[in-house]
Amino acid sequence: MKRVGGRVVWSLPEVTGAIWRRFEDVRAVWVEAEVQNLRRRGGQVYFTLVDEHQIDASMNALVFERLAHPPGDGSLVQAYGRVEFWVQRSQVRMRVERIEPAGEGLLLARIAELRERLRAEGLLDPARRRPLPILPRRIGLVTSAEGAAREDFLRNLWARFPGADVVLVDVLVQGDAAPQAIVRALRALDLASGVDVIVVARGGGSLEDLMAFNSEPVARAIAGASTPIVAAIGHERDVTIADEVADLRVSTPTAAAEAVVPSAAELTGALDAAARRMSGVLAAARVSAGHRLAARARALRIALVARGVRADDRQRELGQRLERALALSAGATPARIEERAERLKRGVRAGLERADRRLRHASGVLAVLSPRATVARGYAIVRAADGSVVASAATLEPGDRVAVEMRDATVAARVEQ
Amino acid sequence: MSAADPEPVSFDRALAELDRIVARMEQGDVGLEEAVALFEEGQRHLATCRERLAAAQRRIEELTADDLPAGEEAEAEPF
Repeated sequence: MKRVGGRVVWSLPEVTGAIWRRFEDVRAVWVEAEVQNLRRRGGQVYFTLVDEHQIDASMNALVFERLAHPPGDGSLVQAYGRVEFWVQRSQVRMRVERIEPAGEGLLLARIAELRERLRAEGLLDPARRRPLPILPRRIGLVTSAEGAAREDFLRNLWARFPGADVVLVDVLVQGDAAPQAIVRALRALDLASGVDVIVVARGGGSLEDLMAFNSEPVARAIAGASTPIVAAIGHERDVTIADEVADLRVSTPTAAAEAVVPSAAELTGALDAAARRMSGVLAAARVSAGHRLAARARALRIALVARGVRADDRQRELGQRLERALALSAGATPARIEERAERLKRGVRAGLERADRRLRHASGVLAVLSPRATVARGYAIVRAADGSVVASAATLEPGDRVAVEMRDATVAARVEQ
Repeated sequence: MSAADPEPVSFDRALAELDRIVARMEQGDVGLEEAVALFEEGQRHLATCRERLAAAQRRIEELTADDLPAGEEAEAEPF
């Protein structure tokens, strides 16, 4: 500071030094702002913190690079540091010591952190996902009673399967109390009798609105449930943790309705088709049944006739079961099938009668071929003393005793030459 | 799905059995006797499925948090 004429003249260091002293007592604070113009120069990272106003900032590059969630241009952050005055260039700059994501960035960082923890525990493993039942007895629904999700789900559910039985638990789906409410509802439904599948639904919303579905208690309640859980959390941009832990993730409540019940019309059609196909196979099996039955019955009769067992018994039992099956087939299927079944029944009866005729014929042939029938026609059987049949004269010696068996009696004889 | 439920998936099982029986019957090497036996078994499963469908009644029970059994607080620690 010097006097030149009548004027006091300051040197620049005197000015900047005076300003610098004003900044001496400024303490470190947290500020929330957006990061812009991020660049690295030397050992420092420089950027501008922008809100309605802006302030230049810098941070040690080594510290910055070790951040768990390093911000980029446009990131909303909370930064902690002192605002300092740099005398050389008369710059005001915040020297940032800590910087963390804020707003959406903070939420995303928390979600990423939770996702990693759950992944490390294996809770996001696709192999953990359980299949949904084809037709649940009751369907648990966790959603807000006022939300559009409820209407969308129920309307589509009942359109698809009119007999669907629903237990709805009305919960808050956003706000601080939401996770707790959702967890309680999930637990109650998981234990409820007859509830075979649970749907957690809400319409779309901002990331902040959806945070209940990114909360750890909800994620763990879903992972820990023994009932399969479908997550239908309407959103297009991000998948919530609840979606990732659930057994099935769908993008809308409407899709959830389609996932948890079969179409009643399709199911009825499939059952009718199964009934028709079974009747059809029965009819096809009948086509060759006549001679198969006859062949088997013939074999049976030949094998059993000596023991006096009637092969008809076996055949009759099978015939009766077939009749019962056909009656069932007729009763369980539409009229067209009934008519077919009637024809089939007539056909089977005819087949059985044919088989029976063949059997009678076969037993006639058997009778003809029987040695006794031969004897009846005037032939005789010669037996040796031990009762064996004498088939050749070479086995006999003069003087041997033999028995001659004829139609009416057996006589004793002796070989003379 | 409570552990006490007697038959949580009877419908699914019956439907799967029905599919199996139809597939077996349609393999082509089934004699009349087996066809009749399969048909009889198939009819039982078909009846199970149809009974279940016929018994399904549109119903909704609406509960609020107050209706729920007082649950424990959400676990602070991982299980």
